Amino acid sequence: MLDGLKDVVRKSSIHVCLINTGGCNGCDIEVVALLSPRYDLEQYGIYVHNNPREADVILVTGAVTEQWKENLQRIYSKAPEPKVVVAIGNCPLTGDVFNQEGCSVYAPVSDFIPVDAEIPGCPPRPSEILAAILAVGPDAIAAKGRQKP
Amino acid sequence: MILPIGPIHPALKEPVRLKLKTQGERVISAEIDYGYVHRGIERVMQGKTWQKGIFLSERVCGICSYVHTQTFAETFEKIAGEKVPLRAQYLRSLTNELDRIQSHFIANSTYFKALEHETLFMYMLHLREPVMDAIELLTGNRVNMGWNVVGGVRMDAEEKHLNSIYQIITNLENEYDKYVEMFDDGPLVSLRSRDVGKMSKEDALKGRAVGPIGRASGIKHDVREDHHTYQDEFDWKPIWRKEGDNYARTMNRFDEIRESIKIIKQIIENIPPGDVRTKIDIPAGYADWRNEAPRGEVSYFVETNGNLIKNISIRTPSIMNIDVCGKYMLQDVATVADAVATYASVDPCVACTERVVILNEKGEKKEFDGLHKVKYLK
Repeated sequence: MLDGLKDVVRKSSIHVCLINTGGCNGCDIEVVALLSPRYDLEQYGIYVHNNPREADVILVTGAVTEQWKENLQRIYSKAPEPKVVVAIGNCPLTGDVFNQEGCSVYAPVSDFIPVDAEIPGCPPRPSEILAAILAVGPDAIAAKGRQKP
Repeated sequence: MILPIGPIHPALKEPVRLKLKTQGERVISAEIDYGYVHRGIERVMQGKTWQKGIFLSERVCGICSYVHTQTFAETFEKIAGEKVPLRAQYLRSLTNELDRIQSHFIANSTYFKALEHETLFMYMLHLREPVMDAIELLTGNRVNMGWNVVGGVRMDAEEKHLNSIYQIITNLENEYDKYVEMFDDGPLVSLRSRDVGKMSKEDALKGRAVGPIGRASGIKHDVREDHHTYQDEFDWKPIWRKEGDNYARTMNRFDEIRESIKIIKQIIENIPPGDVRTKIDIPAGYADWRNEAPRGEVSYFVETNGNLIKNISIRTPSIMNIDVCGKYMLQDVATVADAVATYASVDPCVACTERVVILNEKGEKKEFDGLHKVKYLK
């Protein structure tokens, strides 16, 4: 019964932390556009506050730069279990245009932290980001929460 | 006491580290560390053709991505010594102004979010969405448009789309004053912004502040005045103010949106028919070109051998603006909350700034330092 109660709580209140690990900002402003009255992220119980210590969903935008190679793992470990990682845009998946000879990016993100959902696009539309968070977020968090450590 | 904020923090949208030296609640001075999103774009561009370089230049910054491609293309056109057709110039200016409007809206909404005024934050994003629709109608994409090419623009705008954009802009203009008055006359937000984070004209000149931040401190400098299209075709005037505080910077952006609306209306009313793209043969050479991005002056310095880019250097406005913020505005601020609001008011775009590469001092071996530090602790 406790698990069922926890499932309800976890599904209906999702805190999101946005980490830019070296993108162009395009995906970040599409996440900010999600807060606008047209998309209204908060009606689904999703709250973006950029605090990794309270986060259930970590949104990663951007190829991994020199500075983030160690720090990304540290921030990931600071988020409490259960947690879900969503990679937004082409950068965290392949490095996009930056991943060429002479660059200083270390894509993909999945080399550093486990990724649960991937949204390709440069940048993806806000509705696609919203759909991905809703598709993977509530159920995955609830399922991960039931696993005993 | 040193109070570190960032790189991931509720108050910040982008990874940057503010180190505030505080005495009680009062902020004495500040240090800003960046280097978290350095990707090495200029290095990657070397040895590439412009067809590949223009996509990289677009991804220098996601918020003002349009003006980077325009400047990149106009630099190459300057090397070739040619101008694009008049219709293409008009369409470029139209997209540039639409981009400026959406960028200023998101800058002001971030400032209101930093002030914890959620109502105006929501209203600003609400006003921004129709402008994004207009950009999508014109170019086919919301953020990274891929619309500019050397020699013009990629496709022509249809008459019905231009009419829809005119309608969107007219609607925006009609309800715009209401929201500006909410800020201007509002006892809560306006008073909290006045006389906070002041920067004098001398300091702004010393720190080379550009764009709305410099103009809010009294520097009458807008690069659009030197641009041939804006000079010859449109009737407009640069906006500037004297106060130099958070209120002036925010109001400067609000007034610039009004000016942009005026320009867009002139463009759609007077747009000439004709080609939108010409073939330009690029000889070997060097050129530099400046344009007014939403955040200020963006400069491109390009050296080419006719086919490939030999050297490129990009100077974006945010580096100077974040610089003057740490050096002059965040000195002796009354509270930490005001310091965060002041930082938000300079419209920092960290992804822009991060192409500064420091070579090692010996100069023999080119090593990336990666981390560009600016220290202003006393």
